[in-house]
Amino acid sequence: MTYTYIGKDRRRIEDPRLLVGRGGYIADLRLPGMLHAAILRSPVPHAWIRSIDATEALKLPGVVAVFTGEDCKEKINPCMSFGPATITQYPMAVDKVRYVGEAVAAVVAESRYLAEDGVDLLEVDYEELPPVTDPMAAMEPDCVLLHEEHGSNIGYERTFEFGDVNAAFAGADLIVEDTLRWGRSAGMPMETTGAVAQPGFNGVLEIYCNSLNFSYFVFLIAATLRIPSNKLTLKPVPAGGSFGSKLAAHKVPALAGFLALQVGRPVSYIEDRIDHLMNSDHHGCDRTYEARMGFRADGTIVGLDIDVVDDYGAYMQFGVGHHGNAFSQVVGPYRFRDVKYRLRAVVTNKCQQGAYRGFGSEVHNWVLERLVDQGATRLGLAPEEIRRRNFIQPDQFPYKIPGGNLYDSGDYPAVLDKALSMIDLDSWRAEKKRLREEEGRHIGIGLATTQERSVFSATEFWFLVEKPAFPLTSSPESATVTIDPTGQFQLLLHCQSMWGNSPETVGATVLAEEFGIPPESVNVRYADSAHALPGTGPGGSRYTAMVAGAIRGASRKLQKKLLHIAAHRLELAPEDLELVDARVQVRGAPETGLTIAELAGTAYFFALSLPEGMTSGLEESYTYDHPYTTPPAPDGSDLGVFYPIMGHACHIAVLEVDPDTGMPSFLDYVAVHDAGTIVNPRSLGGHVTGGATQGIGTTLYEELAYDEDGQFQSLTFRDYLIPTASEAPVFRIGHVQTPSPFTEYGIKGGGEGGRMVAPAAVSAAIDDALREYGMRVRRLPVKPATIVATVQAGRAAEG
Amino acid sequence: MKPPPFTYCDPESVDEAVGLKSEYGADSLVLAGGQSLLPLLNMRLVRPEALIDINKIGDLQKIEGRSDILEVGAGVRQYELEDHALVGELVPLLPEAAGYIGHIETRHRGTVCGSLAHADPAAELPCTAVTLDATVVARSPSGTRTIEAQHFFQGRMATALEPEEVLVAVRYPVTPQAAGHGFVEVARRVGDLALAGAAAVVNLDENGHFTSVSVGVSGISDTPVRARAVENALIGEAPTEENITRAADEIVPSVTAGDDIHATRAYRRHLATVVVRRAITAAVASAHERSDGK
Repeated sequence: MTYTYIGKDRRRIEDPRLLVGRGGYIADLRLPGMLHAAILRSPVPHAWIRSIDATEALKLPGVVAVFTGEDCKEKINPCMSFGPATITQYPMAVDKVRYVGEAVAAVVAESRYLAEDGVDLLEVDYEELPPVTDPMAAMEPDCVLLHEEHGSNIGYERTFEFGDVNAAFAGADLIVEDTLRWGRSAGMPMETTGAVAQPGFNGVLEIYCNSLNFSYFVFLIAATLRIPSNKLTLKPVPAGGSFGSKLAAHKVPALAGFLALQVGRPVSYIEDRIDHLMNSDHHGCDRTYEARMGFRADGTIVGLDIDVVDDYGAYMQFGVGHHGNAFSQVVGPYRFRDVKYRLRAVVTNKCQQGAYRGFGSEVHNWVLERLVDQGATRLGLAPEEIRRRNFIQPDQFPYKIPGGNLYDSGDYPAVLDKALSMIDLDSWRAEKKRLREEEGRHIGIGLATTQERSVFSATEFWFLVEKPAFPLTSSPESATVTIDPTGQFQLLLHCQSMWGNSPETVGATVLAEEFGIPPESVNVRYADSAHALPGTGPGGSRYTAMVAGAIRGASRKLQKKLLHIAAHRLELAPEDLELVDARVQVRGAPETGLTIAELAGTAYFFALSLPEGMTSGLEESYTYDHPYTTPPAPDGSDLGVFYPIMGHACHIAVLEVDPDTGMPSFLDYVAVHDAGTIVNPRSLGGHVTGGATQGIGTTLYEELAYDEDGQFQSLTFRDYLIPTASEAPVFRIGHVQTPSPFTEYGIKGGGEGGRMVAPAAVSAAIDDALREYGMRVRRLPVKPATIVATVQAGRAAEG
Repeated sequence: MKPPPFTYCDPESVDEAVGLKSEYGADSLVLAGGQSLLPLLNMRLVRPEALIDINKIGDLQKIEGRSDILEVGAGVRQYELEDHALVGELVPLLPEAAGYIGHIETRHRGTVCGSLAHADPAAELPCTAVTLDATVVARSPSGTRTIEAQHFFQGRMATALEPEEVLVAVRYPVTPQAAGHGFVEVARRVGDLALAGAAAVVNLDENGHFTSVSVGVSGISDTPVRARAVENALIGEAPTEENITRAADEIVPSVTAGDDIHATRAYRRHLATVVVRRAITAAVASAHERSDGK
């Protein structure tokens, strides 16, 4: 299928305002009479709060009020949570602090400066408890508890088995095993999470917030604040690229809303960078795996056995949804059928986990690919060869994987072939050998693949829970298309979707395709929660596929109305007409027709010229439900279809490692992605570039570190090292397009794949560069000290 | 991340600045480029009563070259070490080291003397100052005194400046024409502070043997380290790979930095030998280039 606008490189509509700093930062928002809040962050990881003395702070001129967790407990309900009911939290700590950085009190003042001066004057008496920082120790029966009511530091434990791994391994020629450790990193947005709340018209609390998804969650925020949901309006403010860290960021707006209700004036609470680093509620996964994979001698994978301990931090707001994401692509692109997956989710004195690009599936893919690479090495197979031998074949789709999810479509050999066509691996392998022998240099080549699940269904919010409290199944997206009286197009989006994807460019491109209008002529707006139609928002690489479905649905309704008006005016049957290039014309006689502008004038101003029964105006909305989801089995034996729109990618990294300093540097990098039908290759390339760079960050640089006493070690960007353009390679990007049979136009999601595969490719390249010293990347981030220690040990062993 | 209250002063002359510094003493800090000070203020890690902004003082904005001295005033930005022709001509190590300081944007704000006064042991300019035997010029109401770089740095972010003194300039001895220099730094990312870095200036005799060696090392201790043991091991020796490697190992006892999230102590010990070896090797190559160029 060829399209006029879809699939063409297009500059993003969003970019000009963003590039000049006029994207709409929450910190620039000023409301009359607005006050500012700052929070006191806990300096200790684990303690009872014995008392908080605000006497001196309240004496400071400009300080209006001080609130604590006790006030929250008295006046509002706990925060929204999909985790165990016995692990609750409030916007500020109640009774106990559970990690360094947790909010203990909030000072509301005439300026942020004065609020921070007030925070300085607070006196808190902590009765310290032993910090729980090691998730393995946390599981010991005598370990001090974070949540007394929960009765254990294990927030969740369950073993899933699909097929029979023991039987599969009994027939294996080789079983590889490894202990693999994935460290904490997180998305770092340009602007932190913030909210400005004001008691507004008719007693409605209005909260401006740069978070996501609030038309989906507004009811839950209202429940936290103990107000009817029709008395709360969440106003959209651009989030920008947060890569997860502002997804459903409920504590910040809840806190701002609580404070505004208490003081009866607008209150701004905006995280500063330290708040966001240590208290964002969105640290990424932090896992330790004992993992095994069985192979036959020809490289065929026969099974996977995983025992994972996930260090969730102090709370579990999203339950163990991260592992649902892993289950969506638990076998990767491979054909094996037997999987065992033991999961223990542990609470410790650290910031809780949230969303970060990949949302848990990126970790699983790294583990999978680490094991496949180990198998390849042991069996003497090239990395591309072992993968090719195990790929699900193009004629096997739709393909139901162990566990129940479905892969809609794919052509994995084509993606691999495309990647191999973009780089001469034979010549790199020869060059690697030459440079080692002649110059003593260490070049490594890593090749890895990933599945990229997209378009989640809401069943994954609860299907891992044995007795879910609210087993919802809806995850729709809506759009409203308006043609105004002069024929100009307005597109209204409904889920506070302004983040680092390209909702406006995508929306305008789809509308252009539907009506034959120039994309740049479309104006895009965002509904606040009081006006919003059902929407789930971005997340899980769902928005492009979903909003395209919604826009197409609304467009079809509008097209029908245009044809009927035209038919009535031209005294023809609607079936004899067609919409071509913003004009309704007669099939076979295109010189006869009416432009959209002419028809719009009729629709708005000439009711007597409309067909009988038709009402004035040209506006249609459409709510597009998830295109393919099935319910899970109650016993967990089958999770149902919940993430079926399946992309795929292959990355090949070539790098050099300096064995004396442990510093890697990239020599080449090829990234090929299949995201189905591409709306805009240029912005998809941006996602690949940014995502892969973040994957490199997680692999080599970024670490949200806690010491064994629970003190947070990554307080600033001097210590939390985000790779910059200097560290990232020049990515050479290729695309393969295997349209989804289930979505409109065949679009799949493409927002996360870069980060899901780069860690595996880069880890493999480092191994390859230093294989002679026994290098095997088993812990991320892999730091220069580890690399040098391995080289030194290897050299010592050589004697 | 807002600073606590302070009194802001913006004197227009050195005398006025010195007067203010003497008035507020230890309760005041001098603001020049602000690249390190403002984050410290915003995180409330420093709480000065007064901030003395020296940016209006024209007398401090100068770079002056004399026959044997290059003097850099306290208002001079780091990028000027790269851009100002006189610097490269008189002390060629400086422009090379300056390229490693942060990023071009920060070098346009950050000052040379500010970096010295901040005294981060992993920073480039303190390391080059001890390598080059620079002297720091301090003014107080009782007059001007000079402090040798190796005595100036007294600890992590601690210097020999007295509370009433203002650092007004740094003086670098002009590097002999025939001398070679090298600067090597290993940081986790471009622009980060060094895990370890080394600066070297060497002179070779007509036989190509070392007549002088000066090596400074960053990132390995509470202060920048002058690597005397390394230097002594090379004087009179030929600049062979073996000699340089053996001498570089002499840095190991000076590595006192402990483990942090970026590097282990064992790694830093090893890395120190690597950067010292590479810096000396680069300096030797540079000396050869200079003698070839004559």
